[in-house]
Amino acid sequence: MHDPLAIHRRTFLARSGLSLGGAALAGLLARDGLAATVSAAAGPAPAAGRYPGAVYPLHHPPKAKSVIFLCLAGGPSHLETFDPKPLLATLDGKEMPESVTAGQPIAQLQGQKLICLGPRKSFSRHGECGTEVSDYFPLLGSLADKYAVVRSMVTEQINHDPAHTFMNCGTGLSGRPSMGAWVTYGLGSEAHDLPGFVVMTSKLGRNPQPIAARQWHSGFLPGQFQGVEFSTSGPPVHYVTNPPGVSTAHQRDLIDTVAALENHRLASLADPEIATRLRQYELAFKMQTSVPQLADLSGESAETLALYGAQPGKATVGTNCLMARRLVERGVRFVHLYHSDWDHHGGIDGYMQQICPPTDQAAAALLIDLERRGLLDETLVVVGGEFGRTPMGQGKGEQIGRDHHIKGFSMLLAGGGIRPGIVHGATDDFGYNAIQDVVHVRDLHATMLHLLGIDHMRFTVQYQGLDSKLTGVEPAKPVKALLA
Amino acid sequence: MPSASPSRRRVPGRLSAVAWCLAAWGVAASGFGASPSGGKAPDFNRDIRPILSQNCFACHGPDEHDRRGGLRLDDRDAALAELDSAATAIVPGHPDQSELIARIHETDPDTIMPPPESNHVLTAAQKELLARWIAAGAPYAAHWAYVAPTTHAPPPVRQADWGSNWIDPFILGRLEEEGIEPAADADPLTLLRRVTFDLTGLPPSPQEVDAYLADTRPDAYMFLVDRLLASPRHAERMAAWWLDLVRYADTVGYHGDQPHNISPYRDWVIKSFRDNVPFDRFTVLQLAGDLVGPFNGEHADDPVLASAYNRLLQTTHEGGLQAKEYRAIYQADRIRNVSGVWMGATVGCAQCHDHKYDPYTARDFHALGAFFADIDDEKHFKNGTNALPTRREPEVQLVGPFDRERATELDARMHSLDNQLPPLVLPPRAQPPEPEPEGVVASRIELDQLKVERQQLDRALMVTRALKQPRDVRVLPRGNWLDETGPIVEPAIPGFLGSLGTNGRASRADLARWLTTPVASGGAGEYTARVTANRIWALFFGAGLCRSAGDFGGQGELPDHPELLDRLAIEFLASGWDVKQIIRTIVTSRAYRMSSAAPADLLARDPDNRLLARQGRWRLPAEGVRDTALFACGLLVERLGGESVHPYQPAGYYQHLNFPQREYKVDKDDRQWRRGLYVHWQRMFLHPQLLAFDAPSREECTATRMRSNTPKAALVLLNDPTFIEAARKLAELALAEAGAADDERIAFLWKRTLSRGPDADELALVKGLLDRRRVEFKANPQATKDLLAVGVAPRDKTLDAAELAAWTATARAVLNLHEAIARY
Repeated sequence: MHDPLAIHRRTFLARSGLSLGGAALAGLLARDGLAATVSAAAGPAPAAGRYPGAVYPLHHPPKAKSVIFLCLAGGPSHLETFDPKPLLATLDGKEMPESVTAGQPIAQLQGQKLICLGPRKSFSRHGECGTEVSDYFPLLGSLADKYAVVRSMVTEQINHDPAHTFMNCGTGLSGRPSMGAWVTYGLGSEAHDLPGFVVMTSKLGRNPQPIAARQWHSGFLPGQFQGVEFSTSGPPVHYVTNPPGVSTAHQRDLIDTVAALENHRLASLADPEIATRLRQYELAFKMQTSVPQLADLSGESAETLALYGAQPGKATVGTNCLMARRLVERGVRFVHLYHSDWDHHGGIDGYMQQICPPTDQAAAALLIDLERRGLLDETLVVVGGEFGRTPMGQGKGEQIGRDHHIKGFSMLLAGGGIRPGIVHGATDDFGYNAIQDVVHVRDLHATMLHLLGIDHMRFTVQYQGLDSKLTGVEPAKPVKALLA
Repeated sequence: MPSASPSRRRVPGRLSAVAWCLAAWGVAASGFGASPSGGKAPDFNRDIRPILSQNCFACHGPDEHDRRGGLRLDDRDAALAELDSAATAIVPGHPDQSELIARIHETDPDTIMPPPESNHVLTAAQKELLARWIAAGAPYAAHWAYVAPTTHAPPPVRQADWGSNWIDPFILGRLEEEGIEPAADADPLTLLRRVTFDLTGLPPSPQEVDAYLADTRPDAYMFLVDRLLASPRHAERMAAWWLDLVRYADTVGYHGDQPHNISPYRDWVIKSFRDNVPFDRFTVLQLAGDLVGPFNGEHADDPVLASAYNRLLQTTHEGGLQAKEYRAIYQADRIRNVSGVWMGATVGCAQCHDHKYDPYTARDFHALGAFFADIDDEKHFKNGTNALPTRREPEVQLVGPFDRERATELDARMHSLDNQLPPLVLPPRAQPPEPEPEGVVASRIELDQLKVERQQLDRALMVTRALKQPRDVRVLPRGNWLDETGPIVEPAIPGFLGSLGTNGRASRADLARWLTTPVASGGAGEYTARVTANRIWALFFGAGLCRSAGDFGGQGELPDHPELLDRLAIEFLASGWDVKQIIRTIVTSRAYRMSSAAPADLLARDPDNRLLARQGRWRLPAEGVRDTALFACGLLVERLGGESVHPYQPAGYYQHLNFPQREYKVDKDDRQWRRGLYVHWQRMFLHPQLLAFDAPSREECTATRMRSNTPKAALVLLNDPTFIEAARKLAELALAEAGAADDERIAFLWKRTLSRGPDADELALVKGLLDRRRVEFKANPQATKDLLAVGVAPRDKTLDAAELAAWTATARAVLNLHEAIARY
């Protein structure tokens, strides 16, 4: 403990409510040792009393302060959204050459004849950059100069549950921290009376794929970095509402009495846990007020509500995108939105017609609104699913769809230090394999961390003997071409 | 050291670095200078291995596929050999000739070790230690966890009368060495609460408090410990510990996260702790109950119940799954668990490559997996259903261990009724049946009722059944299940630990026996005992003697009291794996009975309490938080075993589950108030009450639970209906059972919850709250009604509603105190 910074962090962890098992604490302290070797980088000193984050100071000046990840859960087809494939259209109905698919993992099409399915929607060029975007997304298309499209994403998991886990935790293994937890652990939060990592969900169309709480779990990181689920309908956060018959004044009186009793006890028993707990009760009480205020959209203008297509009290993608803006405005570090369901094995045309317009509107509104409020520069927006869909069709006729696909899919990145108006990487002519400037999920994570001021290689926590990282043990690197 | 190649550049500055290093070494060797080890000769395991492991082994360790520069540092012979570059990393006695020393003092980023991209940096003290160690001849020692424990005599102590059993001198000896006094004994009430929480997961009742404080027998504490160990509550508390390790949960964990049939296994675990089943038998039954069958005195179903252990992993029947992929995933899951639970090892790290820090090879990984290749569990890939519960063959119907007596009674009575009753005669068509005598009719009704009751005792359980022909297990190169070029492996224990020497293919039973057979007889028993004893110790001191209870490997921590840990392991094994005996020994030591108060100077000197100059203090585990509130208010229903239960849960909490979508059905009967141990464990959405207090999702082996202190936990205690209802029932009890005076009633709340009475300040604070609430609720009948309506427990209508509401509000205060959920 020669390093004053380490001591500072340690007391801070204690103050901010961390009381860890020995192993975990050792991990954090080991991390401290590492942090001590990092030369000072830019970034203002944290406000007094605030957890400064495990990466303090940051490894380099950050471009983004917060992240909004709009997950199109279920795996949207890249071929009908961001990756135009004219050649595939000419192959429609023909067999996919075996050379393309041999030895590849296949999900529901296992053992079936693999027939090409041409793109089901036209594409148009947009903006000065001329990026081609599907006509399912006219509004997003009109903003093409404001974001980057990655057309060469690859992942390693072909089933939904592990693929989400991989996208969020960097591994298919359960029990690891999600990226929101990593980022909140690394950077802390600037929100005083809200959790630093918030999760919201919406669904539309097809019977949705399940989502597991492991997608926002803190894994081996302390519980306070776990994502907190906000609901746009009903009580916004579990247990945030006073019990029936208990007024706010009554609840305040209870907390004050408990605090007085705890302080009395502290005088005879020097247990720092009691002091920590007093602060947690205070924060809990503040959340009881701040969370309903946050969820109350009555202060938003009619124009804003219409821009997003937000419906107060209804958990739509529009409402959630608006909530996401409100959250980052209040200093929340990581907002994860799950919008289900894009798992179009069948009926892809009908479902896309249903789910694309509100998604297009909400995502476009988010970019416009963040920008006009001066927030886009410091907010990294990521839009995409856990994987893409096969160039081969599944099913027949009107009910045709596409299977899961992991060898090439698309994502959209905007704001927070992303170079706008570019297309990065490409798949082959079939839209099957990413062949140019391949971006692995790990590279996406490294890029996101980079924009937040973190070198992913130096952001580790010792777990089971390993310096565990969000980006795992295989090589990963920030994608330079995506950086502004 | 990646670039230790002949082409390596010689750089200016190197000589000066070596000169610096020699100076440092010279100074240290002359006995001057403060090192982390206080000037003692460096001890390989204590001082050197952690440096090499953390900074060097990833590239110069056990993994031969990823070894750089031909250098291997985890093995002395290899470390002393000439390198590819013709240099030698370690020349014993000669740090000045050792390439390792030269390279760690480099300044050139291309040649310095560890390389900058590793993000590891050696401190000056670490560099000095390495030089001193090489100067001393670079002695190696086997990693402590791979050396069988030996019996150590307790160290001599000056205060020979301090201590009550053999544990104490080990602790006192260390404290005397450090010049620290052990803490005073805890006061009797604190000790009573501590040992009751630790052994049963519940606080003592007010009657137990009075009885213990009045017990003047010299060995009153021994009687107390015996009583608690004999309590079924103790078995429940121990089961919760074990269920974390083996990742017991009520749902499949992947995709649809449907419930699966598993709760009878949980009951078997409780029964095993109640009956004090020796840990070796406990092990064999779980890993291989289907292969070994019942032993003397065991019910025929016990091995069947126990064998469900092999079915506890996460499973899936998601459409589009690839059988071979999930075969590999399941195998890895089982390897992580068996090695985590019994070996304290992270063998799972050797799935894709040889372990980076410990001597487990990828082949070892797959050979360990091959033990489980006979488990028949793949039918659900095709026939798993989206029903609740799902289908996971093979399953059996059986009677839970705590229902057996009742089932036998019922069977006997039904049999005798069957024999007494005349056969039912169907009358000819269109004629009314002949009326039967009254007694016969009554017996028929009874029989029908008994049949229904008997049927309800049958529960489904996933069990282990062995395939006649085990599946082939191949070494999967880089863990890639699509690559079938690797060799087929037979079941085997990790190579560096020896071999089983079985005739023919080794089985799960052989593995289980190896884990619990003494080292002298070719097993790993003492290792297993050390891993297990360390975790049992942690239940009673808050942390293990080895802090990394889940990792005894080279990257884990060294034990703080290695000789004591060895002794615990040896005693545990020698006792015939008597779990209650080892626990009794621990909790009757004087060390256990010390005060947990932490004076500032001690806290500054030993913030993590590694020296054990005092007891630990911590917040109760999630189940304990729940159980304590239910116990204090009298709602707790104490019944052993049964199907999992469904306490209040926020509406919509399961909204993201699908296949099928489902509604959480809150229990409306007395299942509502059962212990946390029995709460339905939904892996994807663990009950928020348990989650807020750090209960694990049980997707993986959990050897150490975190203890966070968050606003979410505060919100649960403040607003979760379980705690509102508990406050109301506690208030009802106070109004019904305590005297009429407010002071007496407040004292009652205090005693039920905190086992003590309030002092004058506390009384004044709480009375203020009570009076303010009286005014409020008298004026507001609607608020009164709303508050009292929380929970399904009926309200005592004889009590005045406003008064009860005011007392409910008061009871909330005591239930929200840290002291109520803390163990001191």
